[in-house]
Amino acid sequence: MNNGDGSIDNNGGTTRREFLRVLGVAGAGAAAVSCGPPDTGDRLIPYLIPPDDIVPGTNVSYATVLTGAGPEPLGLHATVRDGRVMKLEGNPSFPHRGRLSALAHSALQDLYDPDRIRGPLRRDGSGPVQAAWDEAIAAAGSALTGGGLVLLTGPATGTARRFYSEWVAALGAEWMAYEPLGLEAHRTAQRIAFGRDEIPLYALDEADHVVCFGADFIGTWLAPVELAARYSASRFVDRGRHAKFTFVGPRLSISGLNADEWVPARAGTETLVALAVAHEVARRAGGGRAARVRAVLAPYTPEAVAETADVPAQRIRALAGEIAAARAPVALPPGTAAQGVTATDAHLAVALLNYVSGASGRTVRFDGSMVRGRAASYAEMAGLVRRMTGGEVTTLVIAGANPAYGMPKASGFAEALERVPNVISISPHLDETAAAAGWILPSHHELEAWGDAEMGSGLRALAQPVMRPLFDTRQREDILLQLAEEAGRGNALGASDYRSYLQATWQELQATSPDASRPFDEWWREALVSGGARITAAAPAASSPPLTAAAASHRFALAEAGDELALVTYPTLQLYDGRGANRSWMQELPDAVTKVVWNSWVEIHPETAEPLGLSTGDLVEVRTEGGSVTTHAYLYRGIRPDTVAVPLGQGHSEYGRTARGRGVNALDLLDGASDGRSGALAFTGTAVSITAVGRRGRLAIMQGHDVDEDREIAELMTAEEARTAIAGHHVDLSELVEAAYDSDPNSPYRWGMSIDLNACTGCGACVTACYAENNLPSVGEDLCAQGREMSWMQVMRYFEEVEDGFQTVNVPLLCQQCGDAPCEPVCPVYAAYHTAEGLNGQIYNRCVGTRYCANNCPYKVRRFNWFTSEFPYPLNLQLNPDVTVRSKGVMEKCTFCIQRINRAKLDAKAESRLVADGEIQTACMQSCPTQAITFGNLKDPTSRVSVLARGARAYNMLGELNTRPAISYLRSVTHAALVEDDHGQGGDGHG
Amino acid sequence: MTTDRAAMATAEIEVPRESLPTLADANRDISRPISPPRWRYWLVLGICAALILAAAVAWTIQIRRGMGMAGINNPVNWGVYIVTFVFWVGIAHSGTLISAVLYLFRSGWRTTINRAAEAMTIFAVMTAGLFPLIHLGRVWYFYYLVPYPSTRLLWPNFRSPLVWDMFAIGTYFTISLVFWYLGLIPDLASLRDKFTGVKKKLYGAFSLGWQGTVRDWSHYRRLYLYLAGIATPLVLSVHSVVSWDFAVGIVPGWHSTIFAPYFVAGAIFSGIAMVITIMIPLRWAFGLEKYLTKYHFDNMAKLLLVTSLIVGYAYAMEYFLTWYSADPIEQESFRWRATGYYAGPFWIMMFCNVVVPMSLWFKRTRNSLAALFVVTIFVNVGMWYERFVIVVTSIAHEFEPGGWHVYTPSLTEITILVGSFAWFFFWFLLFSKTLPVISIAEVKEHLAHAHEHEHRE
Repeated sequence: MNNGDGSIDNNGGTTRREFLRVLGVAGAGAAAVSCGPPDTGDRLIPYLIPPDDIVPGTNVSYATVLTGAGPEPLGLHATVRDGRVMKLEGNPSFPHRGRLSALAHSALQDLYDPDRIRGPLRRDGSGPVQAAWDEAIAAAGSALTGGGLVLLTGPATGTARRFYSEWVAALGAEWMAYEPLGLEAHRTAQRIAFGRDEIPLYALDEADHVVCFGADFIGTWLAPVELAARYSASRFVDRGRHAKFTFVGPRLSISGLNADEWVPARAGTETLVALAVAHEVARRAGGGRAARVRAVLAPYTPEAVAETADVPAQRIRALAGEIAAARAPVALPPGTAAQGVTATDAHLAVALLNYVSGASGRTVRFDGSMVRGRAASYAEMAGLVRRMTGGEVTTLVIAGANPAYGMPKASGFAEALERVPNVISISPHLDETAAAAGWILPSHHELEAWGDAEMGSGLRALAQPVMRPLFDTRQREDILLQLAEEAGRGNALGASDYRSYLQATWQELQATSPDASRPFDEWWREALVSGGARITAAAPAASSPPLTAAAASHRFALAEAGDELALVTYPTLQLYDGRGANRSWMQELPDAVTKVVWNSWVEIHPETAEPLGLSTGDLVEVRTEGGSVTTHAYLYRGIRPDTVAVPLGQGHSEYGRTARGRGVNALDLLDGASDGRSGALAFTGTAVSITAVGRRGRLAIMQGHDVDEDREIAELMTAEEARTAIAGHHVDLSELVEAAYDSDPNSPYRWGMSIDLNACTGCGACVTACYAENNLPSVGEDLCAQGREMSWMQVMRYFEEVEDGFQTVNVPLLCQQCGDAPCEPVCPVYAAYHTAEGLNGQIYNRCVGTRYCANNCPYKVRRFNWFTSEFPYPLNLQLNPDVTVRSKGVMEKCTFCIQRINRAKLDAKAESRLVADGEIQTACMQSCPTQAITFGNLKDPTSRVSVLARGARAYNMLGELNTRPAISYLRSVTHAALVEDDHGQGGDGHG
Repeated sequence: MTTDRAAMATAEIEVPRESLPTLADANRDISRPISPPRWRYWLVLGICAALILAAAVAWTIQIRRGMGMAGINNPVNWGVYIVTFVFWVGIAHSGTLISAVLYLFRSGWRTTINRAAEAMTIFAVMTAGLFPLIHLGRVWYFYYLVPYPSTRLLWPNFRSPLVWDMFAIGTYFTISLVFWYLGLIPDLASLRDKFTGVKKKLYGAFSLGWQGTVRDWSHYRRLYLYLAGIATPLVLSVHSVVSWDFAVGIVPGWHSTIFAPYFVAGAIFSGIAMVITIMIPLRWAFGLEKYLTKYHFDNMAKLLLVTSLIVGYAYAMEYFLTWYSADPIEQESFRWRATGYYAGPFWIMMFCNVVVPMSLWFKRTRNSLAALFVVTIFVNVGMWYERFVIVVTSIAHEFEPGGWHVYTPSLTEITILVGSFAWFFFWFLLFSKTLPVISIAEVKEHLAHAHEHEHRE
């Protein structure tokens, strides 16, 4: 329904006025009046004098860096068309190799958030009112002089870190960096163990055995994009590598679901298991390292820990045996996902294991490649809260951090904030913290701002504005400078704006860089073009520091295991610490583990749920000493029966229309307990009780059934089978996979894709990349629950029964571009048709919406526009002009990024050649951290995709239907022993 | 011609002797309803009109906002609209069957019911024909399905069953309409003779100058026979083609060669049931007890029983073939159909279509109009659910388990479903007050023969 202002309602409700209007129309028998999309009144007006750097219809790419999308900085190539950024792609010159996470893609929606603050605001009694910049700076700046000034920012590296330090020095203030998912426990453990105050690199790509004690390194911990890539490199089964991966912990995260083996240790006992494994490894191994730690590990025999950890001694011994036998083992620490009150000791135990197994210095090394900004621990933040309450803080400047949401209710931060006389927020968003501030000074989004970031190994990335600011906002650091000026300390930082400050800093950096002799302007410009520069001569050599004496005689604090249910709260890769909640792409990206969208849930083991009569979707009250929340039960077999888990990130009270009032904030459950050594907040281990509320809620779960019913959809083979199959397999390069009718015989191309299920981790970066590239609308929770999501690509998460549990196969599911497609013949109007290049074309203009094609698609990848979708300003600025924005009543589906194919074909044609192999990258493929997706021409028998399609692990999904898909899947490979499962155990697919 | 008459004469018509109406009675009785209606009629007509208006509003909202107003989703892209479409096409079957097939088989008992059954066919096709439009995502481009000489040189895709559908139903509607109208001509002439003024002019215009001469009758008879011959294969073709909408699909639960005969039998089954459902109140309201006797209902009930057995056999055979195919995907689909989320509709279907009609083995049931009415209501409900089970359960649970999802009809769909019944009855009510619901000419012909027999005795 057109509301007159161009916005479209599709929530299904009918107002009285609309009802009467429709009644009138129907009564007049003019039902066909204004059926099509409304005329928006927009006109295309050409430039009178075109700017010479804008070529119509051509993308421009700017290099920059994103620091706010998860724990690692990600170098970007931002694709800009007509002055608006519309797509982010990774910059391949950085350690994440040009790959991006889903959260990084969604930075676009953060930029184009319709609820961004559009100008300075002043908080009135009733709420925020508009103010002028001069007025705001004057008023806020004058508050800086009275003493008791604290600057609270996010963690910073590079120039920002220096800037904040100098700023607080100039104003006699204190600087604290706030990061709810900080790495402080890990850092502290490294200091204790090796005397090094830094974070080591986990070179998973070099490992042949990976044990993870809880860190969600594929989803949220340390460097998910880089670590996922390294992990998948260790399992390049076609090159004879397949590291075994064992996961230890009470709950399988997305990382855990990728493991070959799960050791379900009780929550908080990861320390014990790590120590017992280390004990066994030390017993088996000789050498100095073993001798050095034998004493400290002596009490932790497998038998001693077996009962507390609820892991049989035999299992621990077997694990130790595998590690001892491995050439290059690596153990990953608990990370934030398993961060309890003894977090540092847990990290230390893993460090000891790495030390004794020989991983330290080899696969775990301090080489300066993991640079992360330091953050205040929870204990330090609690100290700040005490000072705020005590009136010691008169002015609090919060720039780019949201502690009012991220600090647990038990910390009393929100109340303490009320006690601070002057709260100045510098933020692009009206989040919980900004909403509580007296002055709200809106800053540029990262993509509109200058900056830099340390990328590790001596690389520094440069951030530049990729487009003009959307709103009346200013660079965050410029606001700080202006405030300082207002407070009379303007000259202390030696720059009038941050851009010149940054340039000055880089000028200093150049002096010590390998390019010291070059003219600065040239070096700077080059850095802007390439995205950064090397600022130290060479990467610091990896060193293998000796174990400290303190570590060798450490007394481990151990969490007590009670009889109660243990709570695990964990960040998800889509919302992270809650920052993803304002982006509909992230809300609508199905959770990698549960496939839930737009909501919160509590994971409960079916055995625990049964006596309570709970089934998935039922409302459950989760109660701890810290507080209680009521949310939906989700029955999950990947969690211990004595543990329940609630994801972080929802339950916002502010932060825009997309985030507000959705789900629950799991932090409300925490009692504010923290790790004694590092002060890190305990996310797990809290005693919890669950009660059925007795009401059935609705949970939008985007996967109907969790097992593939042995239907040639998610295929799994053992490492041994894979080895034999690959060894005995010969690809004949003269033979095509293509049949005569799959494409036009005269066409030089048939586009095909290969998806390696062994590499796919299920992170969903491809899905979000597709949303960005192809103008996919987010439809909201209601429509998702009804099965009306518009995603062209989904990652199906299938559980396969194996001996001793289950394995997960993540299957990216998109249009298979069948050679003999069931969708095509049933379309009465040729809207679905076969292109000369073998694609299943879909002509939106011709489609009348019978939806027969979707019924007849065995893969269920076609999407129908049930309504005309909304892209409220400024989200519409993100739309890709190369892709049609679809309206109600038409069918759509994956096109293999036809716009990218056509661009490559035009380029090739201009050069009178054929498209080269690898020249076309679909959006999903471009983004995949593990390079699971390959795209190319199936008519070229030597193209990578052709070779893979004929490989030993290749199969076509539902091949028995003879749809001749252009996508070949490569079987996932596991170290678990497979079982022949009985067929026909179905279930109800309602959700 | 003479052989034809002789055949008619030998056909048994068991009208109780003592109440045998005269030819004048027949003229009067049958055309009596064509008189200014009373309040009861206006009330029912008004209710129908209101429900149609509600459905029109619902459809208009759906057009303006989008198909999302219906409850359908991915994977259940077809819901109540297609279910109801197939239902009404099924209802449309009995008219032609009774008129044409029974005519060709010289089943004389059809005489008193064929007019109403044919009218039912027309109105049911008119109802059914709306649903493919209602279910279109962009109904304003429905003409893309028509092979018109487009400037873009685009034709519809003749491989698509939906195009076959359009032709099958279009043909069926045209032939049924012509056949019905042809049968009306002598009666229209009788009405012309009865009335004066505007009515006389109107009926006169539509009776095409019928004089009742031997020449008129001779042409009429010949054309009637030919049209019956043309219409008969349509009984088989229309629902076969409709069934191919499903059988041509790849979906487990649809993709089966049994579909064409299965759908035809189901259509006749539901059509007969609807005829009985309508005839019983009609007989009472218009006082046509003398013409619609137990004999007619007994025969129709027997036909209902036979088709119920065929339908029941088809249900059983679907399961047998699924088991026999050893195709696990097909087996899972059928297991879920009977035991899954939609077990309710499935067992409603089984009970209504297979169990309830078994009561028709007993003459007492067949001869009790009340019992027959109840049985046919069950069958009507059951046959709607049959289509629901076929359409919805198959696509809700097919190849890709991750895509499984269920569907619940929305208020919009329910409103339009109810509106479709109102639309059907609205036309039927108009028909019953403007045209003779029983063929006067044919009844008189039979009465003439019956009287002849009487005199001869």
